[in-house]
Amino acid sequence: MATPAPMLEYADVSVRRGTATLLENITLAIPTGSFVALTGSSGAGKTTLLRLANRLVTADTGEVRVAGKNVAAGDPATLRRGIGYAIQGVGLFPHWTIAENVAAVPRLLGHTGLAARVAELLELVELPRDFAARYPRQLSGGQASRVGLARALAAKPPLLLLDEPFGALDPETRANLGDRLVALHREQNLTTLMVTHDLADALLRADRVIVLDKGRIVADAAPAGIVASDHPAVRALIASPLAQARRLADLLA
Amino acid sequence: MNEQWSRAFAMLPDRLAAHLGVSAAALALAILIAVPLGMLAISRPAWKTALISTAGILQTIPALALLALFYPLLLLLGGLTQRFAGFGIPALGLLPSLLALSLYALLPLLRGGIDGLGSIPPEILDSADGIGMTRRQRLLQVELPIAAPIVMGGLRTAAVWTIGAATLATTVGQKSLGDLIFAGLQLEDWTLVVTGCLAAAGLAILVDSALANAETGLKERRINKGLSGLVLLTALVAGIIGWHLATRPSATQTAAIVVGAKNFSEQYILAELIADRLRAQGLPVTIRSGLGSAVAFRALAAGDIDVYVDYSGTLWDNVLGRKDIVPRSQMLATLRSELPTRAKVEVAASLGFENAYALAMKRTDATRLGITSLADLTAHASQLRLATDIEFQQRPEWASLQKTYGLKFKTLTAYTPTLMVRALGGGDADVITAFSSDGRIAADDLVLLTDPRGALPAYDALLLVGPHRPDLTAKLDNLQNAIPVEKMRQANWQADRDTDKQTPQQAAKWLAKQLK
Repeated sequence: MATPAPMLEYADVSVRRGTATLLENITLAIPTGSFVALTGSSGAGKTTLLRLANRLVTADTGEVRVAGKNVAAGDPATLRRGIGYAIQGVGLFPHWTIAENVAAVPRLLGHTGLAARVAELLELVELPRDFAARYPRQLSGGQASRVGLARALAAKPPLLLLDEPFGALDPETRANLGDRLVALHREQNLTTLMVTHDLADALLRADRVIVLDKGRIVADAAPAGIVASDHPAVRALIASPLAQARRLADLLA
Repeated sequence: MNEQWSRAFAMLPDRLAAHLGVSAAALALAILIAVPLGMLAISRPAWKTALISTAGILQTIPALALLALFYPLLLLLGGLTQRFAGFGIPALGLLPSLLALSLYALLPLLRGGIDGLGSIPPEILDSADGIGMTRRQRLLQVELPIAAPIVMGGLRTAAVWTIGAATLATTVGQKSLGDLIFAGLQLEDWTLVVTGCLAAAGLAILVDSALANAETGLKERRINKGLSGLVLLTALVAGIIGWHLATRPSATQTAAIVVGAKNFSEQYILAELIADRLRAQGLPVTIRSGLGSAVAFRALAAGDIDVYVDYSGTLWDNVLGRKDIVPRSQMLATLRSELPTRAKVEVAASLGFENAYALAMKRTDATRLGITSLADLTAHASQLRLATDIEFQQRPEWASLQKTYGLKFKTLTAYTPTLMVRALGGGDADVITAFSSDGRIAADDLVLLTDPRGALPAYDALLLVGPHRPDLTAKLDNLQNAIPVEKMRQANWQADRDTDKQTPQQAAKWLAKQLK
């Protein structure tokens, strides 16, 4: 029996900007159903790697495949409508209601009768139904992030791309939303790729963590394996949350 | 008084319609230019600075100068197309107005568009791309609606500026509300000025508020509000066109003779007089008034107007480019022979009076000092104060006067014409520059000083006929020597005085009755 193609695949991918190399010879397979966190210091290439998947960035060499298909072939808009996408600033359209924002992708796909779907999505991200009629300016940061997540899931994409989805939130909201995300990942049978600069977030949410440094993968393992890594870039990332956790543990003891 | 208001009001529908038309066309043209330029500026930031600063530089040129610049430019271009492609380009009227006004509207439009689209937060653009909007969907559904208030702000500014600046189109022969303002300023008929200004301001305010409604409707996505703006705009346009059509003279005036007039009372009166003469012979006539002095002759040579009155000294300097001062008869003879060869323009008649520069004094002062000529003035000048109009001290006449008569005045002050006369009346000046056909000479009991040594050039009023209508020469040559200077002065005074002011038409009718 042939194994099914991974949901997302990078085959010897490099990305350059002028003389700088953002990503170098990345080869990577993300099987269907996995929750992968991409982490690393600023400028390591996390966001570039993520954006290759929905062709917001194009590879200079190599090939990126989603569900076995080369993303460079075909129409980018069609590709993107089939992939969930949520980002740090959320980027809700300020002139649209929450309902319109949430229903944006199904509407682009030509679906109609979206009111019920909007209600369902608001429930999934634990927002009251009457938020549908509000405008983005009337929401708190956490509420906006939930709407962003609902918008990304609206057309039931098999693949979800998240770029620092909880970046600007307070710790409590962040924890709540992180838990909800993990639950949604399971309930909706998603394959999730999440960029985060916060190693703790990566270790606690994902079932696989990839650490990038200067455009290369320096660690790729389950959370336990990452903690055990002795690569200097990984150790540097771990150092500060580890020290923090120890001090907290001492304080609580 | 009532009659003045109703006359001003009667001019409105025609001018309002023309004003709206030229403003709308200029704005539409500006938008057509601004949209692709704006797109270019957004996609290539290097272009942005260049475009904004070019538009900014254009903005610093006064609108009046921009309009005036297009006249010689189009004339040159028209000459080239005539030679190489066999068709001409009209250099007067709609085309220069349209071009100048749309260039003027470019800056607010570009700035509104570029600033508006540039102000959209990057995460919004990123999520629009990320959820799978095409470029077009992103522009129409996200960028333009979010940028709309700023883009519309630019559009509103452009619309208001264009409507304001369109009043200046009168100076290049385009009909507009400026006709009332310019005519009113020259005739000191404030009802005309006020009517023209109020109409232009009212039009600008209505258009602005209609666009404001459309903007609010767009921003808040309130269809009714947006529609109310469009309805207001449509009603405004329909109302003005309807009014214009309802008041338009029913006779269709095809291939009418165009009588030109520069922008002062005597010219308005003479244009009416000529028009009446031609109408009496059954010819259709329109009058294009308010032309700038430099523009008028070129307009005649180019066939944009068919007939007008100019002055020998002006033509001597402006057309023949001569700075020397020659006797009156020699100047006339030279013009009669040179104008046809240079510009195919015929001198149809010498009207019989001069509108020349002269120096004038109050009769009481002149009598007391025993001054009747410029030569008498030489001995007294150092005790006297001279008030001149604004351009006189830069003109060759002044240099010639100083040289010939050795005039050295106690003080020398430049005024606008009205203030100059006031300065004499109020005792702030003893001698003023004057024009020999000015109505105030008789009215204020002034004495024009004679010029025994011929220091001042002649300014004989000459009736000029353009190259397309040589037949007019025969139709108007009975005006040869027909207008004595005293009669012209009285007619001018009827139009210039403050009490019992007559319209140029009325003054022209009166003048016609005085002629043989």
